[in-house]
Amino acid sequence: MFWRLVAQLLRGSRGRLAVAIIAIVSGAAVISALLNLDLGVQNKLTQEFRTLGANIVISPAGDAPAQSSSPDVPTLMPADDVLQTLRQLPPAQVTAAAPYLYIVARSQNIPVVVAGTWLDQAQKLDATWKLDGNWVASREDDSHCLVGHNVARRLHLAPGNALELHYLDRGVQCSVAGIVDAGDSEDNQIFASLRAVQSLANLPGQISLAQVSVAGTAPVVAGYATHLATVLPQFQVRPIRQVAEAEGALLGRIRLLIISMVLLILILTALCVLATMAALAMERRKDVGLMKSLGGSISRIVGIFLAEVGVLGAAGGLLGAVLGAGLSYWMGLRVFGTAIAPRWEVLPATVALMVVVALTGALPLRMLGNVKPAQILRGE
Amino acid sequence: MATLVHVENLRKEFGNVRALDGVSFRVNAGEWIAIMGPSGSGKTTLINILGGLDTTTTGQAIVDGTDVVRLDEAGLTRFRAEKIGFIFQQFHLVPYLTALENVMLAQYFHSTTDEKEAQQSLERVGLGDRIEHLPSQLSGGEQQRVAVARALINHPKLILADEPTGNLDEANEEIVLSLLRELHGEGHTILMVTHAATIGRLADRRIEFAHGRLVQAAAAPLKPELA
Amino acid sequence: MFARLLGESFARNPRRKLLTAAALVIGMAVATATLTIALEVGDRLAREFRSLGANLLVTPESDTLPVEIGGVDYRPVDEGAYLNEADLGKLKTIFWRHNVLGFTPFLDVPAYVLETGGSTTLIGTWYQHEVPVPDGTKFQTGASATHPWWKVSGTWFRDDSDECVVGSTLAEKYPAAFVLGKTIRLAADRLSGGGRSLRVTGIISTGGAEDNAVLVPLSVAQGISGHPGKFRQLFVSALTKPADALAERGERAQTDKNLQLTPTEYDRWFCSPYISSIGFQIRTVLPGTEVHAIRRVAETEGRILTRVGTLLWIVTLAALGAAVLAVAATSATTVLERRAEIGVMKALGASNALVGGIFLAEQVLLAIAGGAIGFFLGAGLARFLGESVFGTPASPRLILFPVVLALAATIAMIGSLVPLRRAAHFRPAVILRGE
Repeated sequence: MFWRLVAQLLRGSRGRLAVAIIAIVSGAAVISALLNLDLGVQNKLTQEFRTLGANIVISPAGDAPAQSSSPDVPTLMPADDVLQTLRQLPPAQVTAAAPYLYIVARSQNIPVVVAGTWLDQAQKLDATWKLDGNWVASREDDSHCLVGHNVARRLHLAPGNALELHYLDRGVQCSVAGIVDAGDSEDNQIFASLRAVQSLANLPGQISLAQVSVAGTAPVVAGYATHLATVLPQFQVRPIRQVAEAEGALLGRIRLLIISMVLLILILTALCVLATMAALAMERRKDVGLMKSLGGSISRIVGIFLAEVGVLGAAGGLLGAVLGAGLSYWMGLRVFGTAIAPRWEVLPATVALMVVVALTGALPLRMLGNVKPAQILRGE
Repeated sequence: MATLVHVENLRKEFGNVRALDGVSFRVNAGEWIAIMGPSGSGKTTLINILGGLDTTTTGQAIVDGTDVVRLDEAGLTRFRAEKIGFIFQQFHLVPYLTALENVMLAQYFHSTTDEKEAQQSLERVGLGDRIEHLPSQLSGGEQQRVAVARALINHPKLILADEPTGNLDEANEEIVLSLLRELHGEGHTILMVTHAATIGRLADRRIEFAHGRLVQAAAAPLKPELA
Repeated sequence: MFARLLGESFARNPRRKLLTAAALVIGMAVATATLTIALEVGDRLAREFRSLGANLLVTPESDTLPVEIGGVDYRPVDEGAYLNEADLGKLKTIFWRHNVLGFTPFLDVPAYVLETGGSTTLIGTWYQHEVPVPDGTKFQTGASATHPWWKVSGTWFRDDSDECVVGSTLAEKYPAAFVLGKTIRLAADRLSGGGRSLRVTGIISTGGAEDNAVLVPLSVAQGISGHPGKFRQLFVSALTKPADALAERGERAQTDKNLQLTPTEYDRWFCSPYISSIGFQIRTVLPGTEVHAIRRVAETEGRILTRVGTLLWIVTLAALGAAVLAVAATSATTVLERRAEIGVMKALGASNALVGGIFLAEQVLLAIAGGAIGFFLGAGLARFLGESVFGTPASPRLILFPVVLALAATIAMIGSLVPLRRAAHFRPAVILRGE
């Protein structure tokens, strides 16, 4: 009989429930969309910040043999351990990593900085580089190089041209794969494969430093740097402050902003659902009075209406949560260009929230517990 | 005959207004009492207290051995379910329940529901073919008959009716009144509030109210009214 | 009479109105707060992004190839072109001068350090320097504006002083020589005499090339290099608007002779703080220079700003939607609740139009009152949010006041309209019977 009553309640007052249902479904949709979005936004934004470049640098330890800090004699460190570590970094956390060997070579008799590195990582480490030509796909490719556009202009180079590099009495040739526009020091540099530069400078197994691009906020990056420092204790591992700190502060601000607005909306939505539920509950007053006069205890009576409201909240919440997941998917596409996958936890959370809010709206009926049926039926 | 209802010095105030000002009377089991008087005289207040729908603090109102005035909320709830069958002027059927379900509702709050019994109860009042109808699909008279079936379903000791035909037209009034006559004939005790002398005449006794007081408590059948 | 009925209708049943009023007020408060923030957030975030440092680089046009690693130029002092320090004040005269938040010149010089017996690189720059502007005012700027992540343990060198800041890697390599408070002696090379003595006031650690160098005031570097009043490159931090199609056209038009902007396009481009137009304006006041956007910073900023902006507008829309819902739902339920009153009025002979009119007027008045209160609450909320998120409160936009009121009134009308239309079909008897 209990569930029969609830079912009839729901069926019988369809019209009046319309506003309540709309409130619950839209409220749930908004909440679910925003919750999904909030969870996804942080990840997306963190990835966006990776275009700022590397945020961890591995360099020779402070007690390395004293060198001058002139680039004619580069400060070096043995590469093997570092390269080994770089190759084993988990791609989920680490967007890109590459070693660098800087020398000052000569091309067409002009001194030019040459960086030996893993060319396949160039695009990932510096995603804002504009390229005229092609990227170099493999780090083993000794025959191709990337040239900064200032260098290209000075040396009159275009993609496909041959480039000769000289260091002391050695020389090497490579083909220009692409010309880079970075808007930074890289415009004045030539990038070739690590092996080629090591052989040109006769510095086998040596590098100047290594850079890593880790996804995450400043504390995550700092933590990762510490972890790397334990793996490579003979080197100095530090976060690159320009990137790490600014990113952290900015992410923090944006996140705070979004969270506050989401919270506001949540409160508002809850209030709206509460108001409509309360109005609905008030409509039931007369029925409560009648049932009391039939000998129903207030707990049993309120139980029926709470069940009705609970079913409404659950059903509306479910529908709304599904709609909201779709909404956040669309919003992700619109804002970030890639979809934000809905998180499954949001569904039960939204439904639960809606049920709780709906029930809270109906609870005032409990207050009719001490009111005389005669009063209620009279309409006071 | 046993005394079913014993009211002693009952008082009830609404703010400054004395709705009941020291009312005392008795009702025997099986009697049909008409409580009469102008509007505002306290009739409805009395019947509400006897039915456990309202409370007071002064006086005694013993129904089937239970002093309603002394009951707490839980006690009143059981009292309403077990001892009383109430028939309202405005019917007060639940609009989204069928006739059958409206009767079953009373069963539900008493103990357990019994669809067969509820159906029989509706057949008793002549609505056997209307049990699946919603109140909006029934005429006023039919709705009141459902209310009567509902009032009877738990075999109450006392039937209370507050202007049971007040919202009905003549034809339906006749149907409901003959139903009450049948119930009276079967031995039910009925307390009925009415302001119409013609209806009051159907009862065994009339109790007159005015300004919260009994004006006339006739212990014996009245002389027939002059038309 | 209408006013009287309205007044009485209004005064009745205040408790029921409380929840309605609350939803209304909060709904409009949220709408106000989110709109205020959304309008401002672009600017504020753009300012926040300046913590990434400079987004423009100015270099001499006819220059030899810089020998640069990690931003430090290792060329000998007699090679390559220089720019004039004296011209820098003109940067605060361009159209977008208020968007030029800071600029810092750099001059890198190799020098010989007596205490280590070896050579090191001096990075000559400003930390906090007063630049005379042609209009007579002074503008304070320096690495504090363009390189905000440069933090030292100790203190920075004072402008034009005999102080310096040493990179942490260098300090670790030569702990005896580079000690806070000690003086070091520098000369152009091992052989020349007449060097400078500088006191070490701070140690810097950035993870960049500075860690291996000594930062000195620009005047010191100029002295040691023998190029007084000169510098090699300038970093500029400008408040810009994210690039869009017009910005890109404007940028390409700089280099592509075949692409011309129409006069209107040109005006719009010039008068928008795109990085390309600011760059163009800088080149105009500093002849003989090349100005490049530091893509890493500029593009990341642009992209993130655009994304966050879109996101926030969507969130704002959601907030507005929630507010609309709140107002509409409460209006609708209020009208539904008071069907009995409507029934009575109709039974008394009021026409549908009159009844509808009274209720509508009441709902609208309520909405406007709620909207007004909500506006002030929302303005306060926006201030608070601005303060907590960005550190400076968001100022209320008074123009939003009529907008919010109109919004509230419109929604209340729409929200009440549907149930009122249904109420118009009610027969008084049905309502009064209680169904």
